[in-house]
Amino acid sequence: MKRIFKIFLVVVGLSVALYANGQNQSSMRINEYLVFNTDDYQDDFGQQSSWIELFNSSYGTVDLGGCYLTDDPNYLKKYPIPGGDVVTAIKPRQHVIFWADNQPYRGTFHISFDLENAKEIILVKSDGETIIDRIPVHKDLGENVSFGRLNDGVGSTNGDGEGWGIMERTTPSTNNVTIDKTIKSTRMQEMDPYGWMMAVLAMTIIFLALIILYIIFKYIGKYNIKQGKKRVAAKAGKDISEVQYDELPGETYAAIAMALYLYKGDVESHDEESYVMTLQHTDRSYSPWSSKIYGLRRIPQLRKK
Amino acid sequence: MENIISNLKTFWMFTGFANVQWGHLVMIVIGCIFIYLAVKKEWEPMLLVPIGFGILIGNIPLFAGMEVGIYEEGSVLNILYQGVRLGFYPPLIFLGIGAITDFSALISNPKLILVGAAAQFGIFGAYAIALAVGFDPLQAGSIGIIGGADGPTAIFLTSRLAPDLLGAIAVSAYSYMALVPVIQPPIMRLLTTKKERLIRMKPPRPVAQTEKILFPIIGFLIMAFIVPSGLPLLGMLFLGNLLKESGVTKRLATTAGGPLIDVVTILVGLTVGASTQADHFLRLDSIKIFAIGALSFMIATFGGVFFVKIFNLFLKEGNKINPLIGNAGISAVPASARVSQMVGRQYDRTNHLLMHAMGPNVAGVIGSAVAAGIVLGFLG
Repeated sequence: MKRIFKIFLVVVGLSVALYANGQNQSSMRINEYLVFNTDDYQDDFGQQSSWIELFNSSYGTVDLGGCYLTDDPNYLKKYPIPGGDVVTAIKPRQHVIFWADNQPYRGTFHISFDLENAKEIILVKSDGETIIDRIPVHKDLGENVSFGRLNDGVGSTNGDGEGWGIMERTTPSTNNVTIDKTIKSTRMQEMDPYGWMMAVLAMTIIFLALIILYIIFKYIGKYNIKQGKKRVAAKAGKDISEVQYDELPGETYAAIAMALYLYKGDVESHDEESYVMTLQHTDRSYSPWSSKIYGLRRIPQLRKK
Repeated sequence: MENIISNLKTFWMFTGFANVQWGHLVMIVIGCIFIYLAVKKEWEPMLLVPIGFGILIGNIPLFAGMEVGIYEEGSVLNILYQGVRLGFYPPLIFLGIGAITDFSALISNPKLILVGAAAQFGIFGAYAIALAVGFDPLQAGSIGIIGGADGPTAIFLTSRLAPDLLGAIAVSAYSYMALVPVIQPPIMRLLTTKKERLIRMKPPRPVAQTEKILFPIIGFLIMAFIVPSGLPLLGMLFLGNLLKESGVTKRLATTAGGPLIDVVTILVGLTVGASTQADHFLRLDSIKIFAIGALSFMIATFGGVFFVKIFNLFLKEGNKINPLIGNAGISAVPASARVSQMVGRQYDRTNHLLMHAMGPNVAGVIGSAVAAGIVLGFLG
């Protein structure tokens, strides 16, 4: 029985792992492409070719090895991205460039078609069937003008071009929109010059967050009181409706707090004057660092066998 | 003989006397005032003594290039200052705060959480004022956070948004925290009627250990999911509290809430103080920051007290909240709760508001960390 359970666990684990792997590849996006490259990014061979940028939109590393890139919906396995290559493991929120130069023998990132003759770019999962993302190739773009997602990884994946646009400048291997602090704050200043929008939004979020906390702990408290009453009622053999919490007046709490303060604090247990020796007994708890003090004072005793 | 005179001249050039400017002297006087206030008046001595002495250290006139100044790369002070500049001291302080904070008052009466939210108006009121007087949004966000009355949060946010203003904002935040007993009572009296000041609240119910353990876990998950940008502060705050309440990590809680927070407080105080070098600090902007800081505390107090008054309209008789605890929604723990107690007892010597005020007070700590996360999310 145990063995069957173990096999079941392994099968479930493997399924989950395979599912997770498939899901990871689904996070890849075609992010930007450039068709006519005459004065833009160069490859390792010093050549300027069309390129396609892929983006890992997830927060985990994705291995692209085994996936396919194609420009033909009827031939999804046109360019298999080589597996077992460390460079195809794309880190979270990172980009990778594929050169569409129709010269695949030049390395992993040189694919077997070019964009000047392509109608569409399609990214296919390692199963060779599932299309992860597709986008039509616009030929009307000028030289060195790229087409890409307006926000990295955001927009449609069915080829309707929603969320895509002509880029102000090409951004190979980097974010399509460079969001730095200055741009963000400038936008904020334009949108909300007096700070009222920020105040309303932020206070709404703060209230929302704390209201959720309030509701949760209101009910946890109620549940806890009910359980406490149940326990007390069971102990006393009473009905739960007869059990009441004793509410102590504030003075009692203040008196208890003061008593504890006097008991634990430095108020009455120590001398306050300088240069006055305190004769109070100090109990030292055992510490291995000071154990010699005790060890040396103790009269040696024979161990009982 | 000539050599000796020449060497003495060179030595003189390196002394503080040869390099002193009036700005250094002004700052040294300010540092001494801080130390005086801490020692004589006992206004937040744990903060004002290291900050005050830090101001003295930072304003010793130096010959540039000696690699001892706080802004000189590689100097010891510069290395210590990295904790402020990169913002890793504030989360460590939050760990300690979590380890010494008792959320029982809040758990026993969870509606007090909302008072902690209302007091965050101070942050966004100050943000709007800062924009109006000409600061850019990044600077305004950093200045606004002074209204949260939370020194570590102010340092954390400013180090990310407007590091140039770090000294002025940190000193302003800590100074006004020390001035809470002076700033808040007049506003509390102004906004409340005598009848409201005499409201007696139900004593808090006993809180079970399970609730205390659940609070940091659930609180963290909710806050962090809503405002992930506040993760460093929220994570450390609730971790510290879990260490305390779990009952099985007493040693860690004692360290976090004792030696660790003490060490980091000394380093923060010292380096923040030392970062207020005259040429960085004595500017018109600093004066504006101090003025807006004072206003932010006032708005926060107003927000908290006024919210309680409005909230009371919806509460049944017997469940009403004394509006004098509204001021405690800022996260100056426990200074603002003590103010509630002090003012409350002026009108009824047997009405003890301290424990009730601790509820919004600790909610204010959470609220200000969430607010910092939101500002960071919008602007950072």
